[in-house]
Amino acid sequence: MSASPEDTKAFNETWKEPSGFPGGLATVDNIRIGVRYMATAFSFFLIAGVFALLMRIQLAVPDNHFLGPVDYNRLFTMHGTTMMYLFAVPFMEGLAAVFLPFMLGTRELAYPRLTALSYWVYLFSGLTFFSGYLFDMVADVGWFAYTPLSAPAFATSGIDFWLVGLGAAELAGIAAGAELTVSILKLRAPGMSLAKMPLFAWAWLVTAVMIVFAFTTLFVATVLLESDHALGTHFFSDAKGGNHLLWQHLFWFFGHPEVYIIFLPATGIVSMIVGTFSRRLHGYTLIVVGILVTGFLSFGLWVHHMYTTGLPELSLYFFASASLVIALASGTQIFAWLSSLWGTQPKLLAPLLFVLGFMFIFVLGGLTGVMLAIVPFDVQVHDTFFLVAHFHYVLIGGAVFPMMAAVHYWAPKISGRMLSERLGKWSFWLTFLGFNFTFFPMHIMGLLGMPRRVYTYRADLGIDGLNLAVTIAAFVMAAGFLLIAFNVIWSLRYGAVAEKNPWGGDSLEWSLLVATQVLFPRLPVVNSRHPLWNANEPQEPELERLVETLDHRPADWRATVLVNAITGKPEALVRLSTWSYMPFVTSIGIMLVTIATIARLYLLVAAGVVVTVAGLICWLWPDPAETERMQRETLPQETGLPIFTTGAKSLPWLGMLFLMAVFGWSLATLFYSYFYLRLYAPHWPLDGLPLPELLGPALIYGSLLIGAIAAVCAWHRFGRSKIRSQIGFAASLVVGIVFLGLRWADAWYLEVSPRANAYGSIFHMLGWAMDAIVLTGVGLSAAALARSISVTQDWERILAAQVQIVAHYWIFSAASAVLVYAVLYLSPYLI
Amino acid sequence: MSTLDPAGPAAAKIALLWWVMCGVFAGVFVLVVVLMYMAMRRTRSATPPLGKTGFVIAGGMALPLLVVIPLLIYSLETSLALRQPAGAFTIQVRGHQWWWEVRIPEHGIVTANEIHIPAGVPIRLELTSADVIHSFWVPRLHGKMDMIPGRTNTFWIQADSPGVYRGQCGEYCGTQHAKMSFEVVALTPDEYRAWVDARIAERKKRREVAEPSRGKVVFRQAGCAVCHTVSHFPEATGLAGPNLTHLGSRRMIAAGNLPNTRTELVNWIVNPHTAKPGVKMPATQLPSEDLNALVDYLETLK
Repeated sequence: MSASPEDTKAFNETWKEPSGFPGGLATVDNIRIGVRYMATAFSFFLIAGVFALLMRIQLAVPDNHFLGPVDYNRLFTMHGTTMMYLFAVPFMEGLAAVFLPFMLGTRELAYPRLTALSYWVYLFSGLTFFSGYLFDMVADVGWFAYTPLSAPAFATSGIDFWLVGLGAAELAGIAAGAELTVSILKLRAPGMSLAKMPLFAWAWLVTAVMIVFAFTTLFVATVLLESDHALGTHFFSDAKGGNHLLWQHLFWFFGHPEVYIIFLPATGIVSMIVGTFSRRLHGYTLIVVGILVTGFLSFGLWVHHMYTTGLPELSLYFFASASLVIALASGTQIFAWLSSLWGTQPKLLAPLLFVLGFMFIFVLGGLTGVMLAIVPFDVQVHDTFFLVAHFHYVLIGGAVFPMMAAVHYWAPKISGRMLSERLGKWSFWLTFLGFNFTFFPMHIMGLLGMPRRVYTYRADLGIDGLNLAVTIAAFVMAAGFLLIAFNVIWSLRYGAVAEKNPWGGDSLEWSLLVATQVLFPRLPVVNSRHPLWNANEPQEPELERLVETLDHRPADWRATVLVNAITGKPEALVRLSTWSYMPFVTSIGIMLVTIATIARLYLLVAAGVVVTVAGLICWLWPDPAETERMQRETLPQETGLPIFTTGAKSLPWLGMLFLMAVFGWSLATLFYSYFYLRLYAPHWPLDGLPLPELLGPALIYGSLLIGAIAAVCAWHRFGRSKIRSQIGFAASLVVGIVFLGLRWADAWYLEVSPRANAYGSIFHMLGWAMDAIVLTGVGLSAAALARSISVTQDWERILAAQVQIVAHYWIFSAASAVLVYAVLYLSPYLI
Repeated sequence: MSTLDPAGPAAAKIALLWWVMCGVFAGVFVLVVVLMYMAMRRTRSATPPLGKTGFVIAGGMALPLLVVIPLLIYSLETSLALRQPAGAFTIQVRGHQWWWEVRIPEHGIVTANEIHIPAGVPIRLELTSADVIHSFWVPRLHGKMDMIPGRTNTFWIQADSPGVYRGQCGEYCGTQHAKMSFEVVALTPDEYRAWVDARIAERKKRREVAEPSRGKVVFRQAGCAVCHTVSHFPEATGLAGPNLTHLGSRRMIAAGNLPNTRTELVNWIVNPHTAKPGVKMPATQLPSEDLNALVDYLETLK
């Protein structure tokens, strides 16, 4: 039995996406956006690659005059920054956006409009970042931008493009991280329990959570530094109580996980390809444990980038040991893959070649990584070409080779055409040999005393021959990457038409011929780790009946099945948003804010905020016609799956959870900064300022407790008395506004200004963070109030999730207020 | 500059650590590559040695632990051996964009870009920075230690035998990071004593004869004195550039980049940006007699 023709037609109409211009700006299709992500990221890869070649030309011979120091320093800054922020992570995100719904057996990602927003913000931030070249204002501080070189006293204006462009890119990353986490945990094929999930999804689950925390930390760090530049605060000026090592701690707390954020998805790719080519995968559980351990420990390793800063030796050994545990986690994965391949005589085709190349290079890079974790050795080769060699082994070997394997492996699923195997082999050997001859000699150059980030070197160092060889090899490697790009373009037209499952893979993406707009009109049922290989597993009649009923349905609104995160048991039918121009408009607003910040045009910043907020309101305000269709839907009766859900069964609630996580982690980062600055201050508050007054602020911050109580009451009254709950929302709204007014008035009369010293800076920054949290709460209350007025019937069902969100968010705000009060006002009294 | 050609106890310890790690890890790497090769070959059984779980546990966990734990203990032992020796003679080094200020407090000597030390004894270093973060690195003597504005890190070096050891800034510090070099000149204890005495005598001599030479006038009028200090020269107290009190006795100029010859000195004054683009010292155009007088004067600053 199959779906009725009317349902099929309506279903296809519902899921139809606009295309061309301007329709393409409105699409939320995960495949199209994912492909855009990858294409954009690959373009940035090529640009940054050209930058690398220019640097290699300069270093080909000693005392060369091809580039001056300023140009060279800009090039390595742009090269590193682009590769890390604009290529590696976004490319992986694009791959995930395309293939996760495919592999998980669902129709879309959880927040389709957020996918679109994240892409536009990423694209615009990259363009902003590069636009510095138009104004001859390009950052030259290196990709980790150590203060004070990047602080107002020493940095050139190019730093603004770097900080602001990057800040926006981080927001795009955080959005993608939240979206992918929710999608992986909640939107899977009926029956796909966590233990049956493909390893690519496992790797991405851990990565996505890491992105949320790591990128939020970096975001806060960039806000602090940009605030030093734009507002004159003193987080990083040691004369005013700021601290340079604070930047290093915050940066590497992001920077170390960043490496694994790039590497873990790559291991996911490798697991999928090894599984397919050897027709089995050993050590699934061990691999999952390895991924989890890596993700968790990567947050405890940041100090191993700071061995030479003069920190206490004992603390260094703690970080050294943690670094070595990571070696176990990676070693386990390598041996699990080797075990899977053992004796299965897989065909040595391009994807597998790149995977084997990955193993060779990554093992070497991992071993030099262990060497660098050894404290006394690190102080010798830290910041030399040995380090440059190491991290290119880890990043190109550990991530770019798997990406290229992925391109050969999965491109047919997107384009319907196979890549040329012959060109694939050629490009593998060019990149593999080119890579090793480029980066292996760099280990030796480093040991011979060549520091990184030097635009030239002396002839008497004895490294000129090596440098010349490296430059030649770099061009060979570049030719290999160009050949891959050519192969992709060539295949679009001349490639052999791909079968449904050309490699004999086990995961769900190979059950569909080619990327269509709706991935699974009929959702698959999964009862095995290898759904395509084990078609004869015992069926689950209940789930089969469910997908039968849901075949091409719901027909007139977009929905998919939400499952229990652990068991994969269907729990609800959730609405997925349709295409809209609003993500694009919102991204324009965000871009206005960033560009105006660089130009210091604060009126324009305000205009950008207005556009952003207006975009968000239009974006989030539900379409009444769609709500009506959802109300009429008969599927809840037929399947027992509810539509209007709350809590962990509701996508908006899950999204809100992440917003709270981001705010909460930002506060935690600021608390860390507060106490870090205090730790190094001779006395606190700095400069003999008086201790903060306790009573007035206690009332101001305490007022948020009333807001929270009002919102919770509104939630509990809901369903019984609409008007009473509306009073509750209104009360929380008023409390929020009163808080903002009073806090600003209090801050205005405060003796310490944010520009006075680091104490004033962090004091006010925490206040501003609190404002942002409350402002969001005010917005949520206002929205709930407005919706409760506009929805006249069935409101207790339709608004259930929204009301719950408002209440939970207000509890979060009140809790934040208590913590901020405790840190800002109480902690200075306790010692 | 080679870390593999150590000339002091610290660098020697680290070089030994490197060779041990290099040997062990080369073995591990070869083992993995051989296993990769064997995995891809036609084999009798499709099960790896020790069974599929045994293989993963042995290779992925036991092997790394077996290598890493002894290594960690060994490196801890190396770290302990690298501890600051007690009671060592102290030299203060302060990083500037892009040169090194060197002070020997015990003898009141202030100079730049050249650190004279007695060979065979440990020297305690107090490192800090006047502007951005730099890193002190003499590869043949020891590893790196960062120089961070607002704090002082202590470090030490020791040269086994007399000689000249090049040093280089190890942390990217702006435009001319590449050419922020210096030299450590290790002398026998007697030579060192003589070097110190010569510097002290030189200063004393200058206090006694305060002759108003033409070069001194140019030094003041051309603006050199604004940035550079020369002892017993009341107007020359600038702190932005290197202290020139002992310039004439130094082997190199321009932070270890050019030999201290008359020609190079002239070129450097006339246009420092040719040798070090972006350097903070401005170009100074002078009539040739003034220039000659100035260089004559600078060469007397032994």
